Order: sequence, then structure tokens, then C-alpha cells
Amino acid sequence: MKGNQRSKELAEKESTPGGQKELEDAVLKTGLCTGCGACVNLCPYQAVYRDRIVTLHHCDLTRGRCYDFCPRTPADLNTLQEACDVGDDLTPEIGAVGGFFITRAADEKIRRRAQHGGTVSTLIALALREGLIDAAVLAGEGEGLLPQAVTVSDPEIAVGQGKSRFVVSPTVAEFNRVNRTDCRRIGVVATPCQALALAKMRTQTVKDTQSGIEKLQLVVGLFCGWALSWRNLTALLEKKMDIAAITGMDIPPSRYHTLEVYTKKGTVRVSLDEVNSCVRESCRYCGDMTAEFSDLSVGSARLPEGWDTARFWNQVVVRTKRGSDLLELARSKGVLEFREVPAGNLDKLKAASVNKKRAAASHPSGPRSVVDKMGQAG
Amino acid sequence: MTKQLLVKDPYNIIITGVGGQGNVLASRVFSGMLVRTGYRVTIGETFGMSQRGGSVMSHIRVSAAKVWSPQIPKGRADLIVAIEPVEALRVLADYGNPAVKVLVNMRPIYPVGVITGEAEYPAPEKIREAVRSLSALSFFLDATDEAVKLGNPILGNIVMIGAVAGLGVLPVDQGVFETVIREGMPASRVEANLRAFAIGMAVVTK
Amino acid sequence: MSIDKQQREGAEVLLMGNEAIARGALEAGVQVAAGYPGTPSSEIIETLSRFAEPGKLYVEWSANEKVAMEVAAAASFSGLRSMCVMKQNGVNVASDFLLHLTGSGTRGGMLLVTCDDPGALSSVNEGESRHFARLMEIPLLEPADFQEAKEMMPWAFTLSEEIRNIVMVRSVTRMSHASGNVVLGALPQPGGKGEFLCDGKISDPERGPVISAPVVEKHRLQQEKIRKAAAIFETSPFNAYTGPERPELLIITSSACRLYSDEAVSLLGAEGRVGILKLGTTWPIPPAYVKKHLTTTEKVLIVEEVLPFLEEQVKILAAEQAREIGIKTFYGKNDGTLPMTGELNPDLVAAAIGRILGIAPATFPAVYNEKLRSLAGVVPQREQTFCPGCPHRATYWSIREALQRDGRNGFVCGDIGCYAMAVLFQAAGFHTAKTLHAMGSGIGLASGFGKLGSFGMDQPVLAVCGDSTFYHAAIPALINAVHQNANVIFIVLDNSGTAMTGFQSHPGLAVNAMGEAVPMVDIAAICGSMGVKVVSGDPFALRQTRETLNRLMEERGGVKVLILKQSCALSPEKKGKKQYLVRVDEHLCRGDACGCNRLCTRIFRCPGLLWDREKGKARIDEVICAGCGVCAGICPAEAIRCEEAQVP
Ligand SMILES: Cc1cc2nc3c(=O)[nH]c(=O)nc-3n(C[C@H](O)[C@H](O)[C@H](O)COP(=O)(O)OP(=O)(O)OC[C@H]3O[C@@H](n4cnc5c(N)ncnc54)[C@H](O)[C@@H]3O)c2cc1C
Ligand code: SF4
Ligand code: SF4
Ligand code: SF4
Ligand code: SF4
Repeated sequence: MKGNQRSKELAEKESTPGGQKELEDAVLKTGLCTGCGACVNLCPYQAVYRDRIVTLHHCDLTRGRCYDFCPRTPADLNTLQEACDVGDDLTPEIGAVGGFFITRAADEKIRRRAQHGGTVSTLIALALREGLIDAAVLAGEGEGLLPQAVTVSDPEIAVGQGKSRFVVSPTVAEFNRVNRTDCRRIGVVATPCQALALAKMRTQTVKDTQSGIEKLQLVVGLFCGWALSWRNLTALLEKKMDIAAITGMDIPPSRYHTLEVYTKKGTVRVSLDEVNSCVRESCRYCGDMTAEFSDLSVGSARLPEGWDTARFWNQVVVRTKRGSDLLELARSKGVLEFREVPAGNLDKLKAASVNKKRAAASHPSGPRSVVDKMGQAG
Repeated sequence: MTKQLLVKDPYNIIITGVGGQGNVLASRVFSGMLVRTGYRVTIGETFGMSQRGGSVMSHIRVSAAKVWSPQIPKGRADLIVAIEPVEALRVLADYGNPAVKVLVNMRPIYPVGVITGEAEYPAPEKIREAVRSLSALSFFLDATDEAVKLGNPILGNIVMIGAVAGLGVLPVDQGVFETVIREGMPASRVEANLRAFAIGMAVVTK
Repeated sequence: MSIDKQQREGAEVLLMGNEAIARGALEAGVQVAAGYPGTPSSEIIETLSRFAEPGKLYVEWSANEKVAMEVAAAASFSGLRSMCVMKQNGVNVASDFLLHLTGSGTRGGMLLVTCDDPGALSSVNEGESRHFARLMEIPLLEPADFQEAKEMMPWAFTLSEEIRNIVMVRSVTRMSHASGNVVLGALPQPGGKGEFLCDGKISDPERGPVISAPVVEKHRLQQEKIRKAAAIFETSPFNAYTGPERPELLIITSSACRLYSDEAVSLLGAEGRVGILKLGTTWPIPPAYVKKHLTTTEKVLIVEEVLPFLEEQVKILAAEQAREIGIKTFYGKNDGTLPMTGELNPDLVAAAIGRILGIAPATFPAVYNEKLRSLAGVVPQREQTFCPGCPHRATYWSIREALQRDGRNGFVCGDIGCYAMAVLFQAAGFHTAKTLHAMGSGIGLASGFGKLGSFGMDQPVLAVCGDSTFYHAAIPALINAVHQNANVIFIVLDNSGTAMTGFQSHPGLAVNAMGEAVPMVDIAAICGSMGVKVVSGDPFALRQTRETLNRLMEERGGVKVLILKQSCALSPEKKGKKQYLVRVDEHLCRGDACGCNRLCTRIFRCPGLLWDREKGKARIDEVICAGCGVCAGICPAEAIRCEEAQVP
């Protein structure tokens, strides 16, 4: 890839080098860490414990991939966009928009096991079945409220990993692990910060080391308002219910101002005022709501029928040719159903995204990073 | 027991090396030989934690007349026997003087800092040069290599003792060595020890 | 070379100070000896245990020093000659019993032999056991060479029997671990009969019960005994003066310092100006004898280790006698002529004498000094670390990884044993262990830390303890922690022996000091009987150990015990035998590139691993590697390969 070659050179010029120490000073100790796991499984020094990144031992390299890949260290926006092959149809609010759709899984069984319309699960299963990828990195159900990053190659198992986990998943750590195995084409379902980390890997500036990034063939982004801290969330919910009985969670449109927690005994609604204290610190600095560095991004839909209908649909933003091809394949295979996008939906999405960018940019000690720049773009 | 007057009284020997090299045994065997010959010997040793990969030193004081302190005063060694090369330099730095004689086994044992790449181990030539410039007489032996040929690297310490006997500064010979070794060791090991001793002796006398 | 081989009376042999003490005890006909291992004292009991069978002695490694003293005292009460042996801080442990013993008095001759460690060459304290003699009002003897170390023992036994109280003999590292010529004496007939006569009246020292009451009366008797000892000391063969009749400077000294003083005077060529008064009986000092020597001079230098113990006695005496002996100028520790801490040596003493008498020390030519200076920086330091194949390295590795994961700034309370190296040399313990005090203090401190939750302390509290230390002093503290419901993880590092001091037996082993089969006391069963959770594991299973630790840290409240069992790399069953043949696959090794950055040689630091600068790869040193295979589990690239070693 010629484009990649150029972006690498550019990125090398732009980025300030750093190693573990710089990562600790700039990200881990400042509360900016997203928990994406990009710095984990590259070497023996960082690890994930629950939803935290810990440094196990001291590393004295002054230029390392941990710092390089981290979505919270400086990078050049244009270089990254180039490296991800996103289309020219850039918007300042939500990045490239090569298409905007409302979709859901045609298969009702998939929908039942999914968060919303099951679009993500369907696309991943399709990519696996068609051989576009031979492994997918997903966030399955783990212990307690923790997700477990898993790699699957069986489409049936892939659809079993549906539903959103609101505690961050070390998905990129799992990508780092799996790209050293025999897999050749890897797809990842990623939150915006994870997608950004993957994008930064494409512009790797540390020489002589293999990140296996060329195996990355598909990034399905998730819209994301914020993720929650495991310790705080557990403490909050423990008081209200039996954690073991929780089957899922969702955040309905903002006017509801609640977190819905589905349990075997019914739905518990928790006011966002309470949930707010559980939001990961790093998310308050994040200006990407729509996973701008993905092949396509998926979130919940807004429909005139209201939330009870909309919750079973998705909104999809296509960003790259790869993303567009996959979606068209799904249409032609009949695995996704499409419906007309209501007027004003794209503007509402942009408005929501701009809100997140503004909040991030105005945060008292915002990072000097690409996120920052994306914030300014809005 | 023929007790001659010593070239110097007390005659001060330091046997140095790294824990596990048989430093303590060497000093005990050699001192045993001197006691056999009728001298009064004091050995001062570092024990305990320093045995775990640390520098080890035995101070041996030989006298026809009296018991001397188990610590040799600074700058007062007459003979330094180093079973490990940089230990020769470490001891010279504290106990060296223009008249000192030095025997060095050139097989290095790297300190942890060198193993881990933090510190540098001086090149053999640099060690030789430093030892020569700080001593009146010096010998460099490949005692460990010789010992390996005999089937056990630990015998390097006995090769060194043979070399000390060969120097002729102290009135000890193969005969006393044999007596002491036979007393203190299982019969099966005596032969290898005698050969190690002879090898060391030959290096300095040839 | 050992005393067993050379028992011939009149033979002149080379003995270590500790061997000379043991030989002296044997010549005195000691019948029971008990001790607790501790450098520099361990060789005394070791030597005696080798002689237990032919000499018909009873020798034991006791669970701790207090028990050792009690065991020895029982023999004394039964009319036998006995001794207990310990290092300086062991006396602290035994002191509670000692306080009562000195009141009750003894029957068969009984000695307390302590080996102090000035300069803390192998200790974590510089404790002065001499002060116990004064505190407990018992006589103190200090040998000043090897022959004397042997001779002093029979004399001390006799003294003990004469005054009917325990006598303390104190050595130091530079005596105990130094060696010199000793002419052997005769050994008595082995055997003897022990009987505790206890049917007499309380006031009957021969047949009555042995107790320290009536206290004030017994205390008065005890002081009578010490006065009697002082009188005997006036003519002791172990006090001697060498030097001119009227020395310009009188040195008063004892123990190894006497040898330093001798050497210093000879270094300065000051034999005609300086006299040396060597005291072997150092508490109480014989007043008339010392007074006589004080009258011969104006200037007095006291040379001793470590605190000014003799110095204070001499000054008190001089003050009492000032009218007769006149005013003296004193030099020593109090005025800074000699350092108040650390061990002395001939150079320090020579410098002190030189300053007092105005003698300049001899120097080398400037060129030579110049060359010496050029050595600075060339000689790499030898840092201490755990042995290749040591279970403790693996244990601390897992602790580190678990603590870092946990992320609440947890720490380890260290204890006494090889594993204390984790505190002394932080790199060896991966910066996990943060406190180090007396034996058993790790769990004691942890018991306290573990109760600070109500003050907002959320840090996981871990304590480590070796198997020997467990029996020695950890049990009461553990009971306390359990009873107080302290939030503590207690890790027993069971390496099946008192490794640090050379594999002496302890209650967890099925063999005693004399090689007899004995019942063993099971640590897990003891902990289990306290009703706490006990988990066992193998420290070489890194991942499992780490996961267990993290799980225990998440559990709230109470004591959790983790027993990590793996024998010491130097243990007889392991030494020289490799479980695996280990090598580094150069093609897989990531070296110092981002992706590993030399984890094995830079952080893990097993001496069996080498960093090959030229190749930029790690390598195994086959000679040093113990073949434990642990490093294979830390390598991120699976470059360290283990192959099961062939059993020959
Ligand atoms: C933390 C978080 C916050 C979100 N916030 C918003 C929001 O504010 N607005 C909005 O419109 N949508 C948000 N989403 C996206 C939304 O919840 C759905 O994931 C999305 O609509 C896709 O629905 P689906 O039915 O197609 O998903 P499914 O078919 O159920 O598939 C979801 C996929 O996401 C993966 N996944 C689940 N949790 C994570 C995680 N934590 N990290 C990475 N991958 C994960 C699963 O493995 C699965 O493959 C959020 C998602 C997450 C995880
Ligand atoms: S990624 Fe590289 S620089 Fe960062 S900690 Fe690991 S080895 Fe060190
Ligand atoms: S944001 Fe991701 S890469 Fe950066 S420190 Fe956190 S987990 Fe590591
Ligand atoms: S840990 Fe493994 S990869 Fe790293 S230097 Fe050692 S052998 Fe090489
Ligand atoms: S196998 Fe590895 S850890 Fe074990 S002794 Fe050898 S080098 Fe050290």
C-alpha cells in the first residue's frame, strides 16, 4: 500500500516519540487511559486487570509501540485518515460519510441476541462466512460486569457475542495477541478509542517490530457516548440488584435520562445522574462519538415510531470502500433489512457528535492529542 | 616439621574470588599446610550473605611467632591469589602495594550488573595490564580451564594453590599438600586434587 | 581440618573460632547443647552435633533461642553441663527467660554463648549482647584468640558451677569465623547422669525447686554471686598486659579488638610507647587489676566493639579511684577517637593511636597511589541476588505481578532469611518488600497494618516468612492476626530447611540436629487449626501463584495463608541436578527491541541468564543455570526453551 508508506513517513515526522514512562506520565497517571488495550500484549510490561491497564515492570525504552499506538498520545489526524483509507466525503462532525443507513438483521434470532438491530453481529458473521476475515475480535460476556475480549472464527459463535458491554473491553490487547497466531485476516468490533488505536497501528513509527497490523481487514465501529468504570459500576449496582442476575443494559435516547438494566426479574432504571459518577474519566475527554476511523460505524437508531421500535434498528455510517462493499454484500445476500432514513436523522447525529466534541474540548485538562483536534473540528 | 624463618613475618596472603568458587576450601587447605609445617596461621573470612554470588575474601596471616589479626591492614598484602580476575583488582585497590605478588585465574564470573548489561566487565588485557602495573610480580593462569580438563571446574582453586606453592615464597610443597588433602577428603578425590596442584605448580615454576 | 578428625590431645590444628569454642565445650564435658541457627554462631552447634554420638551428648536445634536456653537450663537443673548458643539478637529473644533464670540460679555449669556481628556483616542489626550481661547481672567472658576460645570454655563452666549461675561467653564474627592454630586438650569420658533434685525446701539450692522467688532475696543472692565472680576475675588467666612498664598510652581492649590493637601498635612501630591491657573477663571488670594498670599511665584508649561498654566501666572505676590514681585522659568511642558504629579494624585503631601520639602513617609513593586511583570505576560491583533456581525469585515475581495488577499500592512485610534480600536489595525482590525487622515481625507488622482499614487504608498487606522463621516467632503473631481479624495475606515460603545459615533442621523436618528421625510439625495443619483459609501452591507455577494472590487480595477481611512449597536451589536434593536443560532460541528472542527489552536479564535477573551484547540476544549460562525452567514462563516470545533433563 503506497498510501500507507507515505503516511508512515509523515507520521514519523509528526509524532513525538515516547516509551512506557511517557505513556505513564501522559496517559495512565492522568486518567486518560481508555482501557482499549493497545499497549497490552505487545511486550511483557503492560497488562489488563479488570478494566485497568497496569504496568508490571519498568521499561526504559524511550521510543515504544505502547506510546505510539495509544489513542491518547499525539498523532496527526490527516495521516490517520489516509492510513484508514477513509473516503473524501469528510464532515467536520462525524468524519467520513460514504453512506448513512438504517438497518437490522434479517434473522430474528440474531436480533434477539443483539443489543439493537443486530447489524454488527450480522456483518461480522457475514464477513467470516464469506472469508473476508478468518477471525473476529469481539467483546463477549465475562465475569461479573466485565466483558471478555475473545477471538472467534465460527459465524455462529460470533452472533452469540452480541449485546453491548458498557465496561470497556481490552479488545485491542486481544488483537495484539491474535495477530501473532495463524490468523491471516482479522476483523475487529471497536469502540471509537479502540478504532483510533487500530488506526494508529497502521501508521506505526517504531521501526523493526511487527505489529501484525497488515492482518487487520475490517473494523466495525460502535457509536459510543461513554464507557463505565468497573469498580464504580459494580459498587453502584450491587446496592440495587443481584449483579449475577443482570442480562444486559442500554441507554435509551437522552430524554429518558436513564440507564436501563435488564435482569432476570425485570428492568431496573438507574438515573444517569447516578451513573455519571461511574463514567470512565478518559471518556470525558473523548471527542469521537461515531468511531470515525472504522470501515463502518453502527449505533442505535432514531425512528418516528419512538424508542420501542427504534431499539430494534441500527444507524450505520459507511466510511471506507471496504465498509461499503460489506454492507452491499449484506444487502444482496439478504441478511440485513434496510429501511428509509427519516429526514433529519443525520443532522441529529451530527449535533450529538458535536456535543461530545465540545464537552471533550472544554474539559479542563484535555489531552493534546488527535482526539483534541477532532474536538476542534466540530 | 621444619619451621624456617619467613621472608617476612607475618606473611600476608589474600585469597579472593566469588562465592561458590571454593575460596574457603582453598584458604583452609593452604593454611592447613602451613600449620602442618609449624607456623601460626590466622584466617579471616567473609561468610554469610556474601556467599551468594558476592565477592569473597580470605585473609591469611602466616607467622613463625604469633597470632595476627584476622584482618590484614590496608595496603599490606604480600600475595594476592585471585580465583576470579576482577576480584584481583578489587583487592589490589584496597590491599595492594608496590611489592605485592599476584596470581590470577583468568576465568571471569560476571557480576549480575554485567549479566544484565548495566555494567561493563573489563577486557582481559586491561585486567592484566592493571595487575602488572600494580604488582611486583604477577602470573595469569587458566586454572578453571585446567580444572575442567581434570573433570571438575571447582578444582581451579587447587590449581591456584599449587601455583602459590610453586612461587616458593612460603616453605610448603606437594608433600604437605598431600598429607592435608588425604586427611580432609574422601580417597576418591585425592588423585584429581594432586594433579590439579601439580598443574598449578608447573605454571609458575616453568 | 575438623575437630572430629583430630581428637588427639596435644595436636596443633587449625580451627575456626566457633570450632574452638565447640572443642572447648567438649573438653569441658558439656552434655547438653541447644541453639538456634544464625550467622555467625551456627558452626558451634553444628560441630557439637557431629560429636553427639561418640561424645554421648544431646544436641538440638531448638525452635527459637528462648526455647534453646530453657532446654539447656533443664539440663543444668539436672546437674549436667549445658550450653545454649545464639547470635546477638537471639539473646533478645531468650532474655525473658534469662531474666528469671539469673534469679533462680543454675546447678550444672551452664553457659550462654553468643556471637555478635559488629558491622552487621550478616545481620540486620548491630546488637550488643554484652549489655545483657550487665542488665541481667551475670558474668561475661570474651576470648581474644582461638586457643583462648577453647581454653575459656572449661574455665567458664567451672565459674558457673562456683557461683551457681549462668555465665555468658561472647564472640564476634571476626573471632567465630576466623581460624587459627589451636593445641587440643584431652576429652573427658563420655556420659553422665542427670537427675532433677526437687524435693527440698524453696531455700535449698541443691534440692529445692528452681524459681526466682522470693524475688528480692534471690536478687540479693544473685548480686553476691556477681561479686564473687569479680573476685575470681582479679586473677583470671584471660586478663593480660603486654607493653612497657609505664606506657605513654594504655590500650584497654577485648575480643578481636585486642588483635587489631596489637597489629596497630606494630604497624606504627609504637611497641615501646603503648601498652595493651587485654581483658577476657569484661563484666564485671576486675577493679583492683584494672586500677593497678590505670596507675601506670595518664592516657587511656579503650578499643572495643561496638558500644562503649568497657569504656563506661573503666571510667566509673577511674572516677571512684580518682583520688588514688589521679586524673586520666580517656580516648575511645564517646569522644569520637573511634567510630561509635560499625566494626573496627587494624587501620582504624592505628589511625586513632597515631592521632593521640602524633605518629604519621606510612604511605606509598605518589605514582603508586595514582595507579590505584585509576582502578576506580573499572571494577564492576557484585550485587547480591537470589541464587539461580531460587524459589524466592519466582515467588517475588508473582507477588510483584499480582500487586501491580491489584493497583492499590500493596506491599510485603519482609522477614529474616534469604528472602530478606528482597528488602535489602530491592531489585532482587522486584521492589515489593518494604519492611524488615526481627524474626517473625513480618506477620506481626502485617497484623497491625491489616487493622488500619478504619483509617482508610486500602493497601493489600502481605507478609512473608520462611519455614524456620514460622516456628521461631511467627506463630504468636499469626494467632494475633487471626484473632483480631486483620486483613492480611500471609505467605509461608517453605523451602524445607534453614537455607540461609546452611540447612539446619527445624520442626518441619523429620530429622533432628543429630540425624535422628523425629516427628515433624506441619505448617499447613497449624494454620488450618486456627480456622483460616490455607491455600498451597508451587512458586514455580508463576501464573497460578499470581492468580491465587490476586484472588486472595480481592477477598475482604481476615487472614489468608498461602504456603508456597519448593525446596531451596542449594538443598542437598537439588544441588547440581537440573530439572530442565534450558536454552534461548536466538531467532525468537526479541532482545532489547520494543516487544521485550530484555525482560529476562534486565528485570528477572536470574544469574543463569546472560545478555550477549554482540548478538543483542539473551543466552543461558549452562554452568550457572540451575535448570528450574522458571524463566521460560516469563519470556514474551517463547524464546526460552526447556527440555526435560535426562535422569542419569
Ligand atoms: C460502551 C458502549 C457505549 C455505547 N454508546 C452508544 C451511544 O451512546 N449511542 C449509540 O447509538 N450507540 C452506542 N453504543 C452502541 C450500541 O450499544 C450497539 O452496540 C450498536 O447499536 C450495535 O448494535 P447491534 O445490535 O448491531 O450490536 P450487536 O449485534 O449486539 O453486536 C455488538 C457487538 O459489539 C461488541 N461489543 C460489545 N461491547 C463492546 C465493548 N465494550 N467494546 C467493544 N466491543 C463491544 C460485541 O462483541 C458485539 O460483537 C455503545 C456501545 C458500547 C459498547
Ligand atoms: S511496548 Fe515497547 S516501549 Fe512500551 S513498554 Fe513494551 S517494550 Fe517498552
Ligand atoms: S488508552 Fe489504550 S493504549 Fe493508551 S494507555 Fe490506555 S489501554 Fe493503553
Ligand atoms: S525474555 Fe525472552 S525475548 Fe526477552 S530477551 Fe529474554 S529470551 Fe529474549
Ligand atoms: S532455568 Fe532460567 S530461571 Fe532457572 S536457573 Fe536457569 S536461567 Fe535461572
